[in-house]
Amino acid sequence: MSVPFETSARGPIDYAALRALVVDDYPGMRNALRLTLSNFGINKVQVASNAAEALFQIRNKDYDFILCDFNLGEGRDGQQLLEELRHGNLISLDTVFMMVTAESYYEKVVATAELAPDDYMIKPFSAEVLRSRLESILLRKRAFREAYRLFAAHDLEGALAACDTLIREQPRYVVDALRFKGELLVTLGRFDEAEALYKQVIEMRAIPWARLGLARALHLQQKDDAAETELHDVLDRAPEMVAAYDLLSDVCAAKKDTAGAQAALERGVAISGRTVRRQQKLGEIAYANGDLGAARTAYATAIDKGRHSIFVSAEDYGNLCRVQAEQGDYKAVADTLKQNRSTLQASPEGRLVTAVTQGVLHVQAGRQEDAAKAIEEASALRAAGTRGDARLMLDLAGVCMSSGRNDEADSIVSEVARNAHDSEALLAKARKLYDEAGRADVGASVLSSATADVRRLNNEGVVLAQKGDFRTAAEKLLVACEAAPYNPRIAMNAVWVILKHIDTSGMDEPMIEAARHYLDAAERQAPGHPRLSGLRLSLKEMEGRYGIKRKTA
Amino acid sequence: MTDFSTTDFQAALIHELKNHLGLLGMTLERVPMTGDAAHDMPLDDARLLCQSVTDRLRQALWLYKANLGPLTPDIDAYSPHDLINALAARAKTLSRNRFVVETRLADSLPPVAFFDRDLIEMAMTNAIQNSLAYARSRIVIEGERRDDYLILAVRDDSDGYPQHVLESVAAGTPYRARGTGLGLQFSRLIAQLHENQGRPGELHLANAHGAVFQLLLP
Repeated sequence: MSVPFETSARGPIDYAALRALVVDDYPGMRNALRLTLSNFGINKVQVASNAAEALFQIRNKDYDFILCDFNLGEGRDGQQLLEELRHGNLISLDTVFMMVTAESYYEKVVATAELAPDDYMIKPFSAEVLRSRLESILLRKRAFREAYRLFAAHDLEGALAACDTLIREQPRYVVDALRFKGELLVTLGRFDEAEALYKQVIEMRAIPWARLGLARALHLQQKDDAAETELHDVLDRAPEMVAAYDLLSDVCAAKKDTAGAQAALERGVAISGRTVRRQQKLGEIAYANGDLGAARTAYATAIDKGRHSIFVSAEDYGNLCRVQAEQGDYKAVADTLKQNRSTLQASPEGRLVTAVTQGVLHVQAGRQEDAAKAIEEASALRAAGTRGDARLMLDLAGVCMSSGRNDEADSIVSEVARNAHDSEALLAKARKLYDEAGRADVGASVLSSATADVRRLNNEGVVLAQKGDFRTAAEKLLVACEAAPYNPRIAMNAVWVILKHIDTSGMDEPMIEAARHYLDAAERQAPGHPRLSGLRLSLKEMEGRYGIKRKTA
Repeated sequence: MTDFSTTDFQAALIHELKNHLGLLGMTLERVPMTGDAAHDMPLDDARLLCQSVTDRLRQALWLYKANLGPLTPDIDAYSPHDLINALAARAKTLSRNRFVVETRLADSLPPVAFFDRDLIEMAMTNAIQNSLAYARSRIVIEGERRDDYLILAVRDDSDGYPQHVLESVAAGTPYRARGTGLGLQFSRLIAQLHENQGRPGELHLANAHGAVFQLLLP
């Protein structure tokens, strides 16, 4: 998107060509920083006083250097701005993002590996140190230009090779290149190589990011005991390293230690409660553990801290309301809907959450007519293609049953079950719904027929694939995908079988198109699933083999 | 806001304090020198004092945080060349041509070394401040690698450290710390925190045609 401001591979940095943006809520500081930068020869300096202004400017213009204060007063903070920029691909790897912070422990507590700025400055700082850090980042980015270009073009193998060249030829960037290479290896699903790489870095020095990288590589290979030992040791030395708690929680969850998973996140939240996603995850785990009090606090905090975050969705409001309702605190449910009315009304997903939750409230208060209206509203939204998360849909099914609309309830439950045929927690919740309505027998048959079809098609596909009949296997799985369009497990199986089919029998255009479609769907349904990166890579490899240039999105 | 707690209040005050101090520093840097000693001398003093207040504030806040939990440095890989060059640039600005500021980067100095950049910067800036106060004409900032230690040093042509300071730092015994002594105690703590495989870092002071301040980081 951006034209690199400085094209020569050698020679001094051309500061006059550098386009800079200073983001600070304090007018005096904005001016002082602008003058300081102009002393370096950076004359193209624009300023923004908050995250919203900065976003507007960055969307409309490319910047080479963003100097942003962490504390931006009301609204998003600097870290949330960075998250939004990275998440929305609004800045490239060539852009320098530096965070100005008053906290000497910002790096440990706030920044996470995937959302770290290029560097940070602790206030108050001198112009010389700012200049030195900026220059060193610009030179590093220059050295990494080829690796970044290949990465941006999804050529991960090429980016790996570029890292290897840097490791061989530029001792100054050995550690930086190893760090980038470790992330590439994890993305490529080459976890054993990532493990070896992080051990190599630790051999040089046991620096925290390498130890976290090692623990992650171990976890991704299901070596969870080793990962847990590593993380406990990291945390013994540096208990404020919050990213370690996030990973420890994943490791505990993988070991089915749900209490440990909750405890790890609670320790992380106690140190830094501002991260929306950490609160959301804590809410999920606490809810699954039946700890409604902790779940309610976490969901409420996620919404409160995330008022300006892109990571808060309608689902969060639904989750909070559900916990409040399960606690019998119906007044709180009504208050949540009321306080967040304008946010919820702004999207169809939000309106669906509102309709379903109001339905729950009306049923509880015995207002049958109002409940019917809520169901109508929800049905209309669903008919227009709006979908909620599985639990919200089960809530809706519950409202329908309580209003005597059993057919609608059964069809909703059936849809949920098809898309979550292997989620015991959701199926159990659905079963409970039927038990409470005195329709246990009907429930058993709805659930078994919904999951049976998907399970049968999936199993038949897998068996055929094992026998080597990839084509028929792919056809079966595509039928399963159509029946369960939101089921990530089925989608990933289908993609895998299609790729095997093309690998053995040659290119099949409609099939590879289907593979692309369902891989995208699986990524939406199960972001970060360990199988995804390997599938993405195989797909790319297949496209490369047959010379297909993927249409850019 | 109705629920503005005293902790929030304190945090906001410190935030403001750091902002103002940063602004004061940047403002002082922008006052042009006139060549008239009656103007330039007090301005130099003000700049040095501002840097000194900044350093003391950072040290105090760091120690305050350290009270709340274990002292763990943030060790990562950095270029010691970049560090020394940045410190020299800062020293040149602070010295306003009253001193010659030199760097000596030994061939043995590795391209990448492992240390807590912010803490080491604080310790070295402190040593530079001392030298700016006592040196006659010359300050040298040095880096080398010897016996598996990264050695960062500040050398000047002053009269050197008083004997009791040399003795107490060498013996590791506390002494009534004031002014220079405060900074040295802090630097010694920072050096010791740079532990690597059982070896702690060290602060060495010596007099050799002036004061020599050395951080030895394993």
